[in-house]
Amino acid sequence: MRGTYDAVVIGAGHNGLVTGTYLARAGLSVLVLEQRDRVGGTASTEELIPGFRFDTGAHRVGQLHPAIATDLDLGRHGLQMIRTDPGVFIPVAGGRHLLLGESDSAAAESIRTFSPDDARRWPEFSKFTRLVVGFLSALYSMEPPSVPGPLLSDARALARLGLGLRKLGRRNMEEVIRVLPMSCLELLDEWFESEPLRGALAGVAVQGGIHGPMATGTAHNLLRRAAESVSGSPVELLRPRGGVGRLGDSLASAARAAGAEIRTDIAVKHVVLRDDRAAGVVLADGAEIAAGMVASGVGPGVTLLSLSNPGTLEPEFVRDLKAVRYRGATAKVHLALGEPPRFEGLSEHGSHLNGAISISPGIEYVERASDAAKYGRVSEEPYLEAVIPSVTEPDFAPEGKHGMSVLVQYAPYHLRAGSWDRAAADSLADTVVETLGRYAPNLPGSVEARHVLTPADMEERWALQEGSIFQGEMTLDQFFFARPVAGWARYRTPIGGLYLCGGGTHPGGGVTGTSGYLAARRILKDAKGRR
Amino acid sequence: MGRGNAYDAIVIGGGHNGLTTAAYLARAGRNVLVLERRYLVGGSTVSEEVFPGFKFSVLSYVVSLLRPEIIRELQLSRHGLEILPLESTFTPLHGDYLFRGSDHDETRREIYRHSPRDADAYDRFGQLMYRMALAVKPILAMVPPDPTSMRPKDLRGLLRLGRHFRDLGEADFFMLYKLLTMSSADFLDEWFETDVLKATMSASGIIGTFLGPRSPGTAYVQLHHYMGEIDGAFRAWGFARGGTGAVAESIASAARDLGVTIRENATVGHVMVRGGRAVGVALEDGEEIGARTVVSGLDPRRTFLGLVDEADLPENFLGAIRRYRSTGSSGKVNLALSELPNFTCLPGHGDHLRGAISISPSQDYLERAYDDAKYGEFSRRPYMDVIIPSLIDPGMAPPGKHVMSCFVQYAPFNLNGGWNDERREAFGDTVVATLSEYAPNLPDAIIHRQVVTPQDMQDVFGLTGGNIFHGELSLQQLFFLRPAPRWADYRTPIRGFYQCGSGTHPGGGICAGPGRLAALEILKDGHR
Repeated sequence: MRGTYDAVVIGAGHNGLVTGTYLARAGLSVLVLEQRDRVGGTASTEELIPGFRFDTGAHRVGQLHPAIATDLDLGRHGLQMIRTDPGVFIPVAGGRHLLLGESDSAAAESIRTFSPDDARRWPEFSKFTRLVVGFLSALYSMEPPSVPGPLLSDARALARLGLGLRKLGRRNMEEVIRVLPMSCLELLDEWFESEPLRGALAGVAVQGGIHGPMATGTAHNLLRRAAESVSGSPVELLRPRGGVGRLGDSLASAARAAGAEIRTDIAVKHVVLRDDRAAGVVLADGAEIAAGMVASGVGPGVTLLSLSNPGTLEPEFVRDLKAVRYRGATAKVHLALGEPPRFEGLSEHGSHLNGAISISPGIEYVERASDAAKYGRVSEEPYLEAVIPSVTEPDFAPEGKHGMSVLVQYAPYHLRAGSWDRAAADSLADTVVETLGRYAPNLPGSVEARHVLTPADMEERWALQEGSIFQGEMTLDQFFFARPVAGWARYRTPIGGLYLCGGGTHPGGGVTGTSGYLAARRILKDAKGRR
Repeated sequence: MGRGNAYDAIVIGGGHNGLTTAAYLARAGRNVLVLERRYLVGGSTVSEEVFPGFKFSVLSYVVSLLRPEIIRELQLSRHGLEILPLESTFTPLHGDYLFRGSDHDETRREIYRHSPRDADAYDRFGQLMYRMALAVKPILAMVPPDPTSMRPKDLRGLLRLGRHFRDLGEADFFMLYKLLTMSSADFLDEWFETDVLKATMSASGIIGTFLGPRSPGTAYVQLHHYMGEIDGAFRAWGFARGGTGAVAESIASAARDLGVTIRENATVGHVMVRGGRAVGVALEDGEEIGARTVVSGLDPRRTFLGLVDEADLPENFLGAIRRYRSTGSSGKVNLALSELPNFTCLPGHGDHLRGAISISPSQDYLERAYDDAKYGEFSRRPYMDVIIPSLIDPGMAPPGKHVMSCFVQYAPFNLNGGWNDERREAFGDTVVATLSEYAPNLPDAIIHRQVVTPQDMQDVFGLTGGNIFHGELSLQQLFFLRPAPRWADYRTPIRGFYQCGSGTHPGGGICAGPGRLAALEILKDGHR
């Protein structure tokens, strides 16, 4: 590790790695610093329980920004994406179940057992989502404009966006504008009547947030998931072969190949300022590393209020920064199972275990789960999304055994009573196992070990403020030109030479690397400008 | 028909918007007929002597959004409109209370009592809301341009809008964006710490919606209620002498003065359409009346799914109207009292009874009230906005007696098992029980009780789903999407047929904006 670099990137999460890679490819000397013992951030696969490997944070990824896929040729670095079929399995009380996947006809067949009308509408709905996706993808892959008075360059970008919208045709254009601010309930009311289907889609729409599917703006989250998928379907399950961690590893390998240096087990204490410009970082051990610019993959609050000195910032900016809402309500429970779960009416060896298992029998079920979070409690009957990688990749668990990763909503970071101590974590795990047991009676008895990540643990482990897996709520008021704060959505910060490149910036959300990519482009543009 | 039309224009529905449209058309020399199904005009803006001696503002109960230009242009004051200020809000608690009055210093001291920090923030917040209301005003006053259209008229409108936003400046533009997208609870959390203050303020964000204070989008509705202006003074709520019916009556009187004919007890069966053009209306009793222009003040669903043959409407448009959300969430309970309520936390008959009395002790209280409604029950402990009109206008009740108007939320239209007489009374009992927790003398003081459920609002007042705004004020049903894309300019797919109700921009409340803008658009089209 040298004493001086052109650029230092804080955090080797997937976005930080993408930024580091692009800066290195542009000929800059780059150092990426990671406080943990491994790269990938929330995109990591770890042996949390001896013999059992789990996707610790994210257990699914989104479609990487198209440019990344082509530029970095990650296949050469060991990345191979797989899409499971079916994508989602929704068990329903009484041994019934729903299977949703990319094949519209197969999904329709399964839906028919609940509602012939819904079965008929499913292909239309897929068409509709793919249509909206066309527009959203364009929105997500562009740098937010500076509103309200767009610069010339923005005018062009906006015109492109507007054209993209117009290309949809006028009626579709109206549709897109109309559905974006909707609640998931309002959107689904227009399409479907069968509760398991409504519940499954509602679940997708609430992941990572604190709101329920009846809250305004949640329809966008459902469509966002579709936009992040390869197939344009909100029920797709996309993951790297070998675990989500492979994404981090392959990005790291690409970064090194591009000449970037990556150091783990090194925590950054704070950003160094010289004449109000970021001039490097000071490490936990006090060593200082000089750099022409600093890019942070950590959230906006942590970066600008903890790693930098807020005293150097405009009070209005600090006020807006402090007003950013995080409110994580997602927990992760990893289970070591002695045998595969046997869901009522299904064998233990079936394709239904290949993809995600969604405990969301109805939209009201999901909404009720969210009610608890409003009052600072953990849901008694939570919405769950579970995956069992060892079903398709046996080396994830010992012979005959399985590892199950469960995303849990809602487990609010801010508990009204008590705190996220051991006891709270245990009772959360109990609730999860109990809930799963209602559909797979053999599961509770087959649990050999559990590993719980509460929102507090996530904050501790990945510096995710308030345990928000998106580094800030994905609500309309914190979206596009208002992410992380209005007026500062273009990856710059008020501190010259200090940039944000994590999920706290546009487009935020899932594992797509887009924030890291757009940040790198902004940094390189600015660098050219200064030269 | 066609030639020899008895009238240039027929307005269906004598609600305040229909009457406003009629008045403006007559003002331009048109020969106008208004047809009202009930025995009196006003629609949801009525005062009725439901019990001898006691006059109720049966549904809408305060004036807050009535456009001042309409008061001026129609000279409503000359026609008997007198708005008495309703400037205070009293929120009783168990053992304490929050009282915000017209006197700035007293209010400041009162808030200071709860939180010095909030007392400072309160003034700055008021100034901000004033600025935001000014920023929205021109938008409420314009015919919504359609961003998906290439018509010069729309492009011009969009340009004007763009300039308006640019001229707001970054700070105010971003603030407006936050108001449009945030929940009132989150928005207020950025300003205040006192729960009861935040609860009472966010309550104005949920009135008439099927959302809780923590649901995004409610901050805007809150602003909608800040738009209230009386003689230019923002946020001053008012009570019309004689009840809200007096507002409609003054507009009706102005209309008659301008030559408008108003017929009560005249129920329109359907709009007569020939060759894709409206040529008049047929009453339920078979009578046919011809006119070159027909305007509906009814809500979009009743207008397009009830008054015309669906075959005359394009499929997309029909689809949009069928999807149009118009589900009611509120009820109304009107009480005739032998004596004034005596609040335990602030005994006596002071000024706190002369304004609004808000049952909104905490944000959780409102949110829980919403939770019940989400799952199809009326709130076990509802939010209420209560006023005692007889204290402001003694004419509303016999000497020594009083009338009390309680706006209640939530009461879902789609109640589990449906509404019936038994559930109506149970709802009324819940309201009285809730109030008596704060004013124990109330139950014994009740002489008469009128309970209006969302079902009643639909059956008696013709509000689809019992929605008091003719359709929810959610973002996807506002501006150029209200009531449906491409038809937010008061016109309809049927030539000569127009809409002028609250289901059009700028929406609900005793605002009359839709009625006025509709008339101006009709006059632009010019055919008589």
